[in-house]
Amino acid sequence: MIEMHDVYKVYGNGVKALNGVNVKIDQSEFVYVVGPSGAGKSTFIKLMYRQEKPTHGVILINGVNIKRVRDWKIPYLRRNIGVVFQDYKLLPNMTAYENVAFAMEAVETPRRKIRRRVQEILELVGLYDRMNALPSQLSGGEQQRVSIARAMVNNPSFLIADEPTGNLDPENSWDIMYLLEEINTRGTTVVMATHNKEIVNTMRKRVIAVEQGVIVRDEQQGEYGYED
Amino acid sequence: MKIETLFRHCREAFRSLTRNTWMTFAAVSAVGVTLLIFGFFLVFAFNISFMASELDKQVNVRAFLQPNVTSDDIDQVIGQLKKDPAVKSVKFQSKEDGLRQMKKQWGDDDRILKGLERGNPLPDTLVIKAKNPQKTKQLADSMDQYSQIADKDYGEGVTNNILDLSAWIRDAVFVFGLGLAILAAFLISNTIKLTIFARRREIEVMRLVGASNWFIRWPFFIEGSIIGILGAIVPMTVTLVSYNAVIGILDANGGQGIFKLLPMWPLSLYVAGMTTILGIMIGVWGSMISVRRFLRV
Repeated sequence: MIEMHDVYKVYGNGVKALNGVNVKIDQSEFVYVVGPSGAGKSTFIKLMYRQEKPTHGVILINGVNIKRVRDWKIPYLRRNIGVVFQDYKLLPNMTAYENVAFAMEAVETPRRKIRRRVQEILELVGLYDRMNALPSQLSGGEQQRVSIARAMVNNPSFLIADEPTGNLDPENSWDIMYLLEEINTRGTTVVMATHNKEIVNTMRKRVIAVEQGVIVRDEQQGEYGYED
Repeated sequence: MKIETLFRHCREAFRSLTRNTWMTFAAVSAVGVTLLIFGFFLVFAFNISFMASELDKQVNVRAFLQPNVTSDDIDQVIGQLKKDPAVKSVKFQSKEDGLRQMKKQWGDDDRILKGLERGNPLPDTLVIKAKNPQKTKQLADSMDQYSQIADKDYGEGVTNNILDLSAWIRDAVFVFGLGLAILAAFLISNTIKLTIFARRREIEVMRLVGASNWFIRWPFFIEGSIIGILGAIVPMTVTLVSYNAVIGILDANGGQGIFKLLPMWPLSLYVAGMTTILGIMIGVWGSMISVRRFLRV
């Protein structure tokens, strides 16, 4: 469960990104975060995986106040949170398999467990046959699926996605969305910032709209609500 | 840490070192130059302090007895001196002993000493060692109270100068060495910064998936120590080989006087040990300061 109580974020340059956000996201929910560019979506997302610290307020992840967590403990906090980006952030000189395995190595998983789990997760994202391909040999959609596999391989409770379909054509975007939905039905909480009106309006889920640093709308089975 | 993880860190460190051959070479050379100078200074400092302590041991008061003393007088002075708490030992050296020693020291040139046997001008002498060599002067001054003693002599200036010099050199080595070490650490830090820059994406991903800071640091830690060890090999060899040569040239090992140098064996161990340890410290320090920046949340 993710909870934010009265969260403010002011950056060092004086930009007020969030101005008093209160929200509660339950386990196994699927949430879209929408809003115009510069409204604070990215900050909202970054606070969840502790890329940024709140200036004021309390953020609880499964009951833990992440503002209070000591710096050296943050890695352990992050192991419970998978993150997916618009630009995939894959390591270019590693194969699909190695990219996913890297995430397990980094948390010191024994090698024999890595092999089985990576094959299993690559099968889930439909890239079992492509596991020896380098990112440059994969399409954008495939690369994003590798990055989702990497985010999910350590079994986090949360998957946080910042515009995961932003660089993809509609067909690939839908593939990614079906994958995220599949992951969500297996019990993982998915929080996704997006600009994709068609997806939000078709796959009806909870919609949180952020404008000028505050939540202006929070609806179950909501709509995108912007014209762009 | 698991053994598997340790292997992984070593693998990563070696991969990074071999991938950036030229930068590795530059960093190793920087450490090497620093340690070479450090090594020479170390040898120098060890020897100076060795000489000083040897000299300390040789420091004594030579009390020259009046020409007309009787053997009773001599026994009396020796007895009194032995009761003095500042005195470590008293040795009587007759004028004959003195001449014999002089001849030995002069070696083949003893022709000028021939003939002295008949009218030996040397006085009978008491060789007195102080318990604390630093207080030799006070001991010498206390000789004035004995009427049997005509004059005294101790190696005044030389001893003090040597002690001062060795202290000064030790300070200079420390300051100079520290400066060099800082310089080398920054060179290494720059080198490693470049290898980190090449791997910042990897580090970013590691952080995202929850790799602990030490997991990220370890390869760089190992990389730094390897640079330090590699950087220590050449200067260590050069220092010890040239020291061996100097000993050979001066043939000072069995020699005498102030040019008595430390023998190779324990010295080479100290020099090798200290050079390697300093190399590793510089290497690790350099890599730690450059990796720190990338570990901020």
